[in-house]
Amino acid sequence: MRILLVHAHPVASSFNASLFRMSLDRLTEAGHEVDVIDLYQDGFDPVMSEAERLTYHDTAINRQPVEDYVERLLAAQALVLVYPVWNYGYPAILKGWFDRVFLPGVSFGLVGGKVQPTLHNIEKILVVTSYGGSRFRSWLMGDPPRKIANRMLRATIKPGAPVTYLAHYAMNLSTPETRQAFMTRVERALDKI
Amino acid sequence: MRILVVFCHPVPESFCAAVRDAAISGLEKAGHEIDLLDLYAEGFDPVMPADERRRYNEMKLADHPFPDHARRLKAAEGLIFVYPTWWYGLPAMLKGWLDRVWTGDLTFEIPDGPGSIRPLMTHVNLLGVITTCGAPRWWSYVVGHPGKRTILRGMRALCGKRCRRVFMAHYMMDKSTPQTRATYLAAVEKRLSKL
Repeated sequence: MRILLVHAHPVASSFNASLFRMSLDRLTEAGHEVDVIDLYQDGFDPVMSEAERLTYHDTAINRQPVEDYVERLLAAQALVLVYPVWNYGYPAILKGWFDRVFLPGVSFGLVGGKVQPTLHNIEKILVVTSYGGSRFRSWLMGDPPRKIANRMLRATIKPGAPVTYLAHYAMNLSTPETRQAFMTRVERALDKI
Repeated sequence: MRILVVFCHPVPESFCAAVRDAAISGLEKAGHEIDLLDLYAEGFDPVMPADERRRYNEMKLADHPFPDHARRLKAAEGLIFVYPTWWYGLPAMLKGWLDRVWTGDLTFEIPDGPGSIRPLMTHVNLLGVITTCGAPRWWSYVVGHPGKRTILRGMRALCGKRCRRVFMAHYMMDKSTPQTRATYLAAVEKRLSKL
């Protein structure tokens, strides 16, 4: 499968970055064609500019500033996201990747003011993430990143395609055992792709 | 009340800027003192770099990467966020502002052992989100209003116990008309003039 692996963590020695490297190795070994977007490594600028906002709805030119990412997104059959949850949301660098790359004419069309999802080339999504807060606390807050994946992303890709969401909560209280157990869960999910 | 208005939109003549002006006009009518923070105008960089992430858990106020923003946040008794909802959430710039400016020792304290973090923004007793959404209201509820929840639940947990919340949204912006926009501006000004 052609897999787009997107990673967003600034520290290479972090647990999250090790999840990313493990995912890359495992998917490559399994024979997948893996395309890696490491947003920090790329020095990606997540800020949508004034010019981009003004041409947002013009599908003839809106993808120009991020054309490379758009092509890679449209060429993928599966999307694997490895990132930390900060303040109950994506790190800004990843949020901005969605803001700037998931454009009209790329991931959706606007027909009569209504959104029609079009990212039907994606047949599978796997999210691998880590939270500072506990699962209970995150649930109290409405767990926005989980809802984004399970509802918004699910609605954007091929209808009926599976979305798997794996999260290690309460990272500040994690132990080598909890991290290892989580690694194993992620390995199993990667093997299923 | 001293109110910090955090505004985030790339286009100075956007509808969102008009929403900001309506909000400020309402708040001023109610006699509040306004401090406006315009993130795009400041060219704020929302990307947390590696060294800041490494220091994050032990961050002290004295090493805060944005001392001016930290001071203004500490002085605020109310916070009003005005931004467009993009992909159901905050624009990256605003999300990064929360990540980089709402640090430990300023907005929360992490306990040594197990237990919840301790809020330090208890001087904030008003939290408002005034936004515009492309999506319709029902679908925003299905997706769970992630942006609204990040601020009105996530960040509220760091504010005063009785912190009041205000949420206003103009849904379906792509189908908006001059009438719906004017109605929304008037509603924003009126609601905030009563706070």
